[in-house]
Formats: sequence, C-alpha cells, structure tokens
Amino acid sequence: MTENVEVTNIDIEKDDDTITRILRKLNDRKLRKQAMWTFGSIVLSLFVSALIMVISGYDPGAAFYYLAVGAITQPDRILFYATPLILTGLSVALAFKCGLFNIGAEGQLYMGAIGATIIGYMFSLPILIHPILALLVGSLIGVIWGLIPGLLKAYRGAHEVVTTMMLSYTAILFTQWLVTYPLKEQGEYAWISQTPRIFDTAILPNLYGPYVHWGLFIAIAAVVAVDFLINRTVLGYELRAVGQNEAAAEYGGINPKRNMALALGISGGLAGLAGGEEILGTYYRFTDQWSPGLGWDGITVAVLGNNNPWGVLAGAIFFGALRAGGNTMHQVAHVPIEMVGLIQGLIVLFVAAPKIIDWLADNGQSFAIRMKSEPFPAIPEFLLAAISLIGGFLGFGYMFVQMAFDPILGIALLLAGITSFLSFAFVYPRNENGTLMALLASGIWIAAGIFGTVVAGIQVGILGLALGIPMVLFAIVLLRVHRPPFLMRRGDA
Amino acid sequence: MENISKTFAGDVQANKNITLRIEEGEVHGLLGENGAGKSTLMNILYGLISKDSGRIIIRGQEVEFHGPHDAISVGVGMVHQHFKLIPPLTVTENVVLGMEPIINGVDKRKGRLWKIVKQILPISYRSASKRIAAIAEENGMAIDPNAKIRDLSVGLQQRVEIIKTLYREADILILDEPTSVLTPQEVDELFVTLQKFKDAGKTIILITHKLREPIILCDKISVLRDGELVGTVNRADTSPSELAKMMVGREVVFSVEKEPAQPGNVVLQINNLHVRDSRGLDVVNGVSLNVRSGEIYGIAGVEGNGQTELVEAITGLRRATSGEITVNGTDITGMNPRQVRDVGVSHIPEDRHARGLILSFSIAENVVLGKHQNPPFATGPKNMMLDLDRFNKEAKNLVHTYSIKVSDVQVPVSTLSGGNQQKVVVARELSINPDLVIAAQPTRGLDVGATEFIHNTLIAMRDKGIAILLVSAELDEIRNLADRIGVIFDGKLVAEKDPYETSQEELGLLMAGHGSEDLEEARNV
Ligand SMILES: Nc1ncnc2c1ncn2[C@@H]1O[C@H](COP(=O)(O)OP(=O)(O)OP(=O)(O)O)[C@@H](O)[C@H]1O
Ligand SMILES: [Mg+2]
Repeated sequence: MTENVEVTNIDIEKDDDTITRILRKLNDRKLRKQAMWTFGSIVLSLFVSALIMVISGYDPGAAFYYLAVGAITQPDRILFYATPLILTGLSVALAFKCGLFNIGAEGQLYMGAIGATIIGYMFSLPILIHPILALLVGSLIGVIWGLIPGLLKAYRGAHEVVTTMMLSYTAILFTQWLVTYPLKEQGEYAWISQTPRIFDTAILPNLYGPYVHWGLFIAIAAVVAVDFLINRTVLGYELRAVGQNEAAAEYGGINPKRNMALALGISGGLAGLAGGEEILGTYYRFTDQWSPGLGWDGITVAVLGNNNPWGVLAGAIFFGALRAGGNTMHQVAHVPIEMVGLIQGLIVLFVAAPKIIDWLADNGQSFAIRMKSEPFPAIPEFLLAAISLIGGFLGFGYMFVQMAFDPILGIALLLAGITSFLSFAFVYPRNENGTLMALLASGIWIAAGIFGTVVAGIQVGILGLALGIPMVLFAIVLLRVHRPPFLMRRGDA
Repeated sequence: MENISKTFAGDVQANKNITLRIEEGEVHGLLGENGAGKSTLMNILYGLISKDSGRIIIRGQEVEFHGPHDAISVGVGMVHQHFKLIPPLTVTENVVLGMEPIINGVDKRKGRLWKIVKQILPISYRSASKRIAAIAEENGMAIDPNAKIRDLSVGLQQRVEIIKTLYREADILILDEPTSVLTPQEVDELFVTLQKFKDAGKTIILITHKLREPIILCDKISVLRDGELVGTVNRADTSPSELAKMMVGREVVFSVEKEPAQPGNVVLQINNLHVRDSRGLDVVNGVSLNVRSGEIYGIAGVEGNGQTELVEAITGLRRATSGEITVNGTDITGMNPRQVRDVGVSHIPEDRHARGLILSFSIAENVVLGKHQNPPFATGPKNMMLDLDRFNKEAKNLVHTYSIKVSDVQVPVSTLSGGNQQKVVVARELSINPDLVIAAQPTRGLDVGATEFIHNTLIAMRDKGIAILLVSAELDEIRNLADRIGVIFDGKLVAEKDPYETSQEELGLLMAGHGSEDLEEARNV
C-alpha cells in the first residue's frame, strides 16, 4: 500500500502549536454554526418579546433602550449577577459532557450554602483559612449531594433526572427546616427563618466596587479548571467518551459507571461551591429560599453556552447583563421584571430547539425525524402550521369579543379563524395546497388587522399583522418547494 | 447525472466532475476504493447532500432535490451503508416514519377530498403492517412487522431498509455496500430479491467492494477513483482482476501468500465456556479451544451462532456463566475490559459504530482509545493528564502507515468514509504490540487494496509470534488466512479443520449444522 502514500498529505514531522490549534477551533464549521444559531436565537427571542410587549401595551423601544443602558453602565452588576451562574452553569455542563442531565443543581447549591454557612458562623477561624474551609465544606456537601444520584444511576439504573430533581426538593426542604428550627437566629429578627450572620473572618472580600467579590475570581478559575479537566485530563477524556458512546467507552477499558458517578459528584461540587460563594460573598447568612433559582438558571446558561466552559462564562455574563439591565428597565420604563425571565426562556427554547428535535426524533416522533432529516422545508412547514393553528384559535376568540361592537370586523375575524384552521389542516399533513390556503389566511388576517385598527384600535391591527406577516413569509418560502399544481410550469417534475 | 462535483469543508474533493448514465431497468455497479466518493455521489442523487455543481436528470427531466423527500417523490430510494433505523421502535413504525398517515380502506379511495382526509387521519399501524407483510412476501423477504429493530440481525435490518424504500414506491433503488454486513447465505437471498426487482423493471445501483458480485448481478459497472470516474464497462467485457486494476491502479493479488505457521506456546486457552446473551439465552454452549503464538485460528460460522458473545466474553465485555479463559497462563475470566487489554489482548470489534469508534471524537482521540490512560499518552502526576501532541503524532503515524484518507487528524471520525473508519479501528488495535489479537470481521467494508494490506499485516504479525483469533463471516478470508479453522454452530465448536485439507463445500455444510456423518454420506453418494 506504499504506492498511494501520496493520498495522505499530512506532514508527519510537523506538530501544531497552540495558536494553530486555537485558529482551527475558531475555524471549525460546527462551532461557527452553533455561534450563528445562538446569535440568531437571541435576536429572535428579542423580536418575539418585543411583540409580546406591544400586545400587552408596553413600549419595546424604551424597554430595550433602558435594558441596554442599564447593562452598559453597570458592568459591576453584570459580573455580580453572573458569578453564581458561571458556577451552576459549569455544574450542569460538566454532567452533560458525560451524557447526564443534572436537574438538581438548585438543591446542591442549597446544600453547599448551608455547609458554608455553618462553618462561617459556628467556628472562629483565622482570616484566610476561614472562607477557604467554608467553601471546601460547602463543595464537599455538594459533591455528596451529586454523588448520591450518580451512584444510584450507575449501580441501580435510576434515572438521574428523577433522582436529582427529588434530591433537589429534599435539600430545599431540609435546609428550610434547619433554618426554621435548629439553626435559627434568635433575637430581634426571630420571625425570619434564617441563620445568624457569618463571622467577618469568613467573608469573601470585595474585588471591585460594592458588588463584585472574590467569588468572581473563584468562578473564573473554575472555568479554566473545568476546561482543563474536560479537554486535557484522562478523566475528562473518559467522561466525554462515556457521554458520546457508552458501549465504545466500555470497549476501550473505561468504566462507565464509575465515570457517571464521578461526573455527577463533581457537578454537585460545582453547584455547592456556587452556594457557598454566594453566602460568603453576598448574603452573609442562610435565609430560607434565598436563591432566586440560581441552580435552575444554570441549566439555561449551560444550554446557551453549548456545554462548553468558555461558552458557559459568556452565557452567564449575558444573563447577568439581562438581569442588570432588567432592573433599570423595570425602574425607568416600568416594564415588569418578569420580561427578563421571558427573554431568557425564549432564548433557551430557541437554542435548545435542535436538541429537542434530536431527542424527539430518537424517540420516534415522525415530525421530528423529518425536521432532522430535511430541516428545509420541514421547519418552515412546521412553523407555518403552528402559526395557523394559533391563528385559528385567536380568530374565533376575538370574533366573539368584536362581534357585538362591530359585526363586519367580527365576520372578518371569523373568516380569518376559519381559513387559519384550514391552513393548518392542509399544511400539517403537507398537502401541496396548504401554502395557498396559508396565503389566503394571512391576507385575511392582514386585512382584518388594518380594518380593525380603524374601527377598534391598534391591538387588533398588531394581532393581524403579527399573525399575517410571518404566515406570508413562511408561505412564500414554501411556495418554492411545494409548487401547487396549477402554478407548475411545463417541464417541472 | 452530469458533471457532479462536491467539495467538503477542509478541501476534500469527494466528487470531481462525474457523469454517470444509468439506463432504466438495469443493475449498475459502482466500485471504487475507500473514500473514492461513492457514498457521497449516491447521497447527492438521494438529495441528502447538496451538490456544488452539475445536473441530475431522471427520465429526461432535470430535477433539483432539496432533501430525500423530493428524491422519494420521483421514486428514488436508498439503503445506506450505515443504516438509519431507530432501534427501540418496531419494523412497522420505522417503515412508516415520516410518511403520510393512512387508514384502512381510505388509501384505496380516489378524489381530492379523500386525499385530504387521508392525510389528516392518524396512522393506522395495523394496515401499515399488513402492507409491509404483503411487500415482504411479494419479494421473498420474510420479516415480522412487529419485531423491534434492536432484536433483529444486521441482515434483517437491511431488509427493513429495503422494505422502507419499497413502501415508498421507489423504482430507482440505491444500495450502499449492502453485502459487506451479510453472511454468504444472506447475500444469496439478497441477490434473489434483487433479481426479482430487476425483473419487475426497477433500476438498481449497487455499491460494493466484493468484485465477484457485480460480475454476477450487474449489467454495467462504473469505477470511481479519488472522486473521478475512471470508466464504465459492460459486464461481459470485464473480469474481477481488471476491475481491481481499474479501482486501485495496479494489480491486486487475491490469494494471500504465506509460509506455513510455526506455532509456539498456547496463548489463548478456553475451557468449556458458557455465555448467555442479553436476553438471557445460552448462546455459547461449552466452547473449548486454544490459540498458539504464531498461528491464526479462524472461527467460521454463520453470524448469530455465538461468535459475538464468545468474543465479548474473552475481551471482558460480557460475563461468562461458566468456564475458564486464560491468556499466557493468566486467568482472565471475569476481568474487566481494561484488565484484559493490560494482559496484551487487542480487539477489533465486529461493529465499528456500536463499539469501535466514538463518532464525534476526532481521529486523534479515537486512535488512542484504550491506551489513553497509559504513558506516553497520559503524562503528569499519576498519569492524570493527556499529552495531546502524542495523540496527534500517533494519529499521523497510523494515518500514514494504513493509508487512511483524511484531510486532518483533528476532524471528527464521522466525516470519514466507511472503509476509512474501519481502517482507524484496525490501525489502532494492531499498533499496540499485543500478544493476542481478537479480530472480528476485520476487513468489513474495506476495498480490495486495503483488505490485501490488512491480510498481509495479520500474517506478518503471526510470523512475529503473535496469536490471532480471527472471526469472519467470509469463508474466503478464513480459508486464506487461518492455520486452523474451528467451525461454530449453535454455540458449539462442531469441528476443527485444517484449511489445506478442507473444501469450501465441507465447511459450508458444517456451518449449516450438518455433522461429520452427513459429510461421510455426502462423500459416498
Ligand atoms: N461530511 C463530510 N465532511 C468532510 N469530508 C467528508 C464528509 N463525508 C465524506 N467526506 C470525505 O469525502 C471522501 C469520500 O467519501 P465517501 O463516503 O463518498 O467514500 P466511499 O467511496 O463511500 O468510501 P467507502 O468505500 O469507504 O465507503 C472521503 O475522503 C471522506 O473523508
Ligand atoms: Mg461509502
């Protein structure tokens, strides 16, 4: 076979240095595609939340303006909010590398926090040692809280989604009991379920400004450490191997059970560290229900960061910015703070959509399989069908509201509803006339919207356009694929 | 297909200006080395990959496919090299996936309104499985529509893929290396089926590495090399050796030349081994054998007679219910896979996608699987760190020695052609200086040149005093390589033969479960 050596144009002697390696990573098509998709998801979710704001009567322009201003002018707040999210995001991401879904980061965070608090207020220790010991104990309790579902998964086959979730609630209730009874602070504030304040020696000092403390440093160090662990160590290699192909990993001499248990253990440790760091740097005591869902947000951060440690860092900072800006938006533009949660949720939904489709496809959902095997035209088709269905319900719903005031508008809405339902009925089973029906429905929606703006107010107009315009767009896209019979030119297949 | 070109990321030119003419109703063979671009070309015809340039014309009409959906609608069906079935689902569910819903009786009604109704109604699995059973019977492909895919053998899974295309009323059928996973019997059955298709006027495109097949079945044969069309020949005007020359660009020797073996000490000793499969059935029933250093012991048998479980038991992937396995005197019964590797056993698994490779890992990460935890690949305190430079060096080395066609060792192994993926597995396992090699279907999916190379490598290793246990469904391979042949049937070794004194027919009969008395009889008649 020496004759066709020229096939392999690889220089054996040459070794790549780190820079070419990084360049190659940046050039990787999959990474770029992922980045584009994430960016697109952010834009799309901002667009959708703008629509929702309009419909519910807020000014999206002002909202986004103050969101941006709030974020840009308060970088310290961004980092402050981002710090725990980095750690919980890493926790979820690391478990995911081993193919495990750690839903219970919230509980591990609570356990870590209570551990750190106990060391913080019960023991009197010298200055540097105190926080380090408190964080160590916090992480260790987190490790235990992650290891339990890990061992159950490995040796009893109990699904980790169920066990981590159950242990999560157990942890929240257990700490609640602790701070309501045995560890409760007596005295002036005895009506609050909380522990006494930790000693000053245990506090993580501020790094910069009134918000950012040494927790940020710990979190960034954890990013570097987790990245190193995943990509540069034998353990990381084995975790990834188990996550990608358990049978092949086993064949390669890797013990899948041991690695699964370890992955969930380390994952729990990271979440526990987040809890400890928050207590020592921000709250100084454990109050019942103190976490605003930091563990849950870790899941969304991991999804946004594509389970990559540096991606998690970026994702956490982005969510931190949304929080920081969200406060300003709430105070100045009076948009409810929940809007931030909505934007976050939408982003994650869009980013995760392909993975959800993968999952459904693997579980035999035929529409998901089609979306995976031929994303175009299946995805626009699916979206068109979904909008049509929504349009159908909204059309009938609004018809009842408007009929009494203006029968003509009512009839227009009724027509819009009927055609939307028909459009769904045609598009969903992929009838070639579906796109035409969708075009008709969208035309009626737009007309009803314009007419409605005149006789009934702007909301009807917005509704009509919000449904009609995407319908037209998707239908036009699909017309290229499903050319209805009478539009077909001679010679087309 | 006219002037088809395709370049993948990383400047891999998989197809260069290929023009292929396939007549209606003919069987057209497509040959070429590993990585020549056969699968790529056919995936373009099936609409799975977009082409960079060129035109596809079917029955005089130029077509533009946006996905398999479009290809199916003009009657193109494809059975892929690596099947695309979903293991936990049944045959019926897999076949109707992504299809229009149907319900009993409705699909026979005509008219616009019925067409709409037909499409809105949910799927009736009962009528679908009836139709599947009918299709299966019509074409002589017995199958249980309600069986789960994961319980089916590879041969049956392939039937499901073929039935899937028929269910979608394909009349141009593309088969990507259908025979490389089949036993000789199954190949014969497949050929009967394909002959039926041909008689029914269907057009078939057959990709293969086995040179005898196109000679039996195909009307015309096209050969690709390095993404280019070398030529198209009529069956009558060619021979296997000429085809091989067209593919590889040089003469290929089909029978391996080897010196008689110089067997030494017993390396692998198996005593009265019993193993159960995943369903708890006894599939290895008291196998005893030994393999000496410097010899190749071939296990011949129809797939599904316990070979898989036997190999898994030796390599520590499955627990034996009773019996004993020793390697160089060390008892390895009950050891885990890593311990077995550590006593010097390497293993080429029969299914490269199930066990052999981690598809999303790079080539460099795959070639160290199994030795990643030992120096020089692991460094630092307690060998906890990875030396990635070593990974790359090793990968480049193996890519070079085994002529693996890759653009870069950092790309995921999933972007390699099927045969090149196999080469990655073989290269990894043969490069670790083992005492014992367990090679299960080592040349599955390899082209003639690569097969020749692997065979020569195995013989060179034998001559260096390594013990080799070869499990293969291909009698030719066993007969060419093995120094002793054990025939396995129903979990038992029914005979041990000397390859020089045993005929193909005799082995065939033994593999089919006929005892030696039958053989005597057959001889006497
Ligand atoms: N998705 C991809 N990305 C990059 N390169 C690819 C991709 N798919 C195939 N290739 C490359 O294109 C070339 C042709 O591959 P193809 O699968 O068509 O070969 P083949 O003729 O089917 O070989 P085999 O007989 O081994 O199956 C190979 O070099 C392969 O590495
Ligand atoms: Mg191929």
